[in-house]
Order: sequence, then C-alpha cells, then structure tokens
Amino acid sequence: MLEAHNLTFGYPGKPVLQNVSLRVKPGGVTVLIGPSGTGKTTLLRCLALLEAPQSGEIAIDDQKFSCPWPDGRPLDPPWPKLTAVFQQLFLWPHLTLRENILLPVRRRSAGMQEALDALIEAFDMGEFIDHYPNEASLGQRQRVALARALMLEPRYLLLDEITSALDVEQIAKILSYLKGLRGKQIGIFIITHLLGFARHAADQVVFMAGGEIAEQGGPDILKNPQTERLHQFLSVIAAAS
Amino acid sequence: MSVLDILINYHLAFLQGLQVTLELCLVIWSSGIVLGVTLGAIGANHPQSWGRFIRAMSFGFSAIPTLVVLFWLHYPAQAVFNVVIDPFYTASLTLSLVNIFAVGEMVRQAAMDFPAQYIVAGRVCGLGMRDIVTKIQLPILFRQLLPGLLVLQVGMLHATLFASLISVEEIFRVSQRINSTIYRPVEIYTALALFFLLVCLPINLLAAYLKERYTRDLSER
Repeated sequence: MLEAHNLTFGYPGKPVLQNVSLRVKPGGVTVLIGPSGTGKTTLLRCLALLEAPQSGEIAIDDQKFSCPWPDGRPLDPPWPKLTAVFQQLFLWPHLTLRENILLPVRRRSAGMQEALDALIEAFDMGEFIDHYPNEASLGQRQRVALARALMLEPRYLLLDEITSALDVEQIAKILSYLKGLRGKQIGIFIITHLLGFARHAADQVVFMAGGEIAEQGGPDILKNPQTERLHQFLSVIAAAS
Repeated sequence: MSVLDILINYHLAFLQGLQVTLELCLVIWSSGIVLGVTLGAIGANHPQSWGRFIRAMSFGFSAIPTLVVLFWLHYPAQAVFNVVIDPFYTASLTLSLVNIFAVGEMVRQAAMDFPAQYIVAGRVCGLGMRDIVTKIQLPILFRQLLPGLLVLQVGMLHATLFASLISVEEIFRVSQRINSTIYRPVEIYTALALFFLLVCLPINLLAAYLKERYTRDLSER
C-alpha cells in the first residue's frame, strides 16, 4: 500500500498542501481530480518522494518516510518500484525513443525486448520508436514516457496528465491498458481531467481543492457529490462540455 | 621569389617554428581540456567556493588582454622574483591559464544550467547516480559543449602568435625573421597563412566530424 498521512507542503506564505492523507492500493486505480493550481502535481511529486513535505509521513509498503527528511532527501527511496510519469515527460533528448525506454532496464535479464515489442504494439509506437524525442509529437512522446515507466514493472505508478495530447482513440487504448494493469497488482495513481475514465475505471476518486482533499470515495461521488465544492467543479465541467 | 620558393628554401625554419607552435598548442590544449573540465566539474559541485573562484578568474583572464598577462609574467613578475624563465614556459603557462579558466567556466556554467528534470527522470526510473552521470548528464553536456570548446581551442592556437613577442621561436616569429632577411612580406605571410590553414583544417574537420557524429538540433518541432 502507498499511503500518505497528513502531508503538509508549502513555500513561505504560500501553503500548497494541507494535511493531505490518501491511500493507493496495489491493483487499484486512484484518480485525482481538481481545478488547476490546487496542488495535484505537488502531491504527486511528494508521493514520488521528489518533494520534501514539511510534515507528515509517506509509507510505501513496509518503508516509512517521515517528513521532513534529513538533508532534504529520502533515505533509500524505492525507485523504480515506485515510479512516475510527469506532464512534461522528461524524455532524454540525446537518446532515441527506443533508447529512452531501454536505458533504465538495460541491466535486467532477458525478456525486455519482448516486453518492449508488446508495448510498441499496444501503444502503436512502431512508426516513430527510432525517432528522437524532438522528432515526435507530444502525443507520441506521452506514449513513450508511459511505456518507459511500464517497462520498469513498478508496483506503484504515478501519472500526471499523461493523456492530455492524445486523440480519443489513443486515450481509449491507453486507459484500457491501464485498467488491465490491475491484474498485475500495479497500483495506479493518476491525475486527469477525464471524468469519464474516473467513472469507469477508478476504484477511488480523490477531489482536491485549495491544497486539501475536499472529498474522496468511489466513482459514485462523481454522480452524487457530497460537498458543495465538488458539485461546483462537476457543474463547471458539465457546462464546458 | 614565389611563395613556393620561400617554402622550399626556408622549409626547415618553418617546420621548426611550426613544431614550437604545435608544442605550445599541445600543452595549452591538453591542460585546458583536462584541468579546465575538472575545475568546471568541481566548480559546479561547490558553487559558493570553487565556483566563484573560477568565475572570478575567468572574468579576469577575459577582461585583461592575454598579451598584457603574458608580458606581465615575462618581464615584471620575473624581475620581482629575480628569476629567468624560458619564454616557452612563460607562454605555455600564460596561455594554459587562460584556456583552463575559460574551459572551466564554460563547463561550470553548462553543468549548473543542466536541466534537473533529466536527472529526476533518471532517479524515478531507478538509475543510480553513476548511470545518471555517465549515460545522461555527460553525453548531453558533451554535445552541448563541443562546438564552443572547439572554437575556443582554435582561438588558443591563434593566441600562440603572442608568444613571438616574448621571443618564443614559434612560426610567426620565424616568419618575421625570414622577412627581415629577404623582405618578401606578401609571400612570407601568405606562406604563414597557408601553414595556419593546414593546421586548422584537420581541427575543423575533426570539429565537423564530432558535430555531425554527436550533436544535433534538440529543439522541438
């Protein structure tokens, strides 16, 4: 289980996260929604042990990381058992997309090539896999960044808006692939604005507003929100679409 | 007397001058690259101490003309310390210092400005620091620094001409000496230009090869 207890993070005079607690189960899909600028990405970075919260605790299975961390860094972080794909993707520009995927797993035993071939097929990456990142579209890079994370066979996968530049068909393929990861006992934590995905695939929906978790529960909270803030958020989205 | 005649008649003198120029270059280039890169890496890791020192020295050497430093080390410094040092060593030291701090500052700046997100991506992918440095940081920095470093080294080759002014028998001084004997400035300096073209050609070819092999446009389309 990936758990956050009372995480607080902020800059002087500007709190970003306030007493945030949540759980991501292995084999479950947790969807984080909320308006822009409410600290969703910061929460993901904290869960990925890349930001140092001022207080609280993060537990990844048996490993506990009490905040603040000594020297500002977590001791022995469990990467890539816990890994993340960021909105900006962070593909290494001097390597081809194929090399980007294979670099982190090059010391692993056989079977990586087969795993890559399967991902190339699943994400339709055959045409551009040997291009460099700057020769690929944003949507293509999003698929590669996700493939790079999946090749690591993580137990917890944190995803930040990874479908923002994909067309409807690709989104459907990727989200269906992610749903399929439940069977591999991978815990998925995804920030998205795709409420349809949250309704159909999420085991847990977390709504954040103003640096706090305003409401969380099963996907049914999207039909019957208990808080006024979530109700407002859903109304705005419904009006916009 | 044509350029060819001059080259034939004085080829031994020219070759000796060229040899001194190339020896100077060897010292300047090797010390600049090895010590400069090392210093730049140290400066990036210790920005408050070494970083500031490299920055200050690099600023000093770029602000004060190389010729002034060379003359200062050749005349007043030696008089103050009451020593006589072979001009070749003085020129080597001066130009090496200029090159070391120029390279050091270039490397320090590039390392400091290295996009942290590429390191973050490596960390969450489970790569160790050694892999991150050797497989991600150094290759990107190398590609980024290569064109500037090669231009700087060609500039240092040109700066070896200053050594002639403190009596180092490099190729420019040899040319001047021949000219004072036969007074054929057009032909002699044309011959000198040819020598520099011949020395710079392989460097430029190497630069073009390395650029073609290792650097490419990373901007997004």
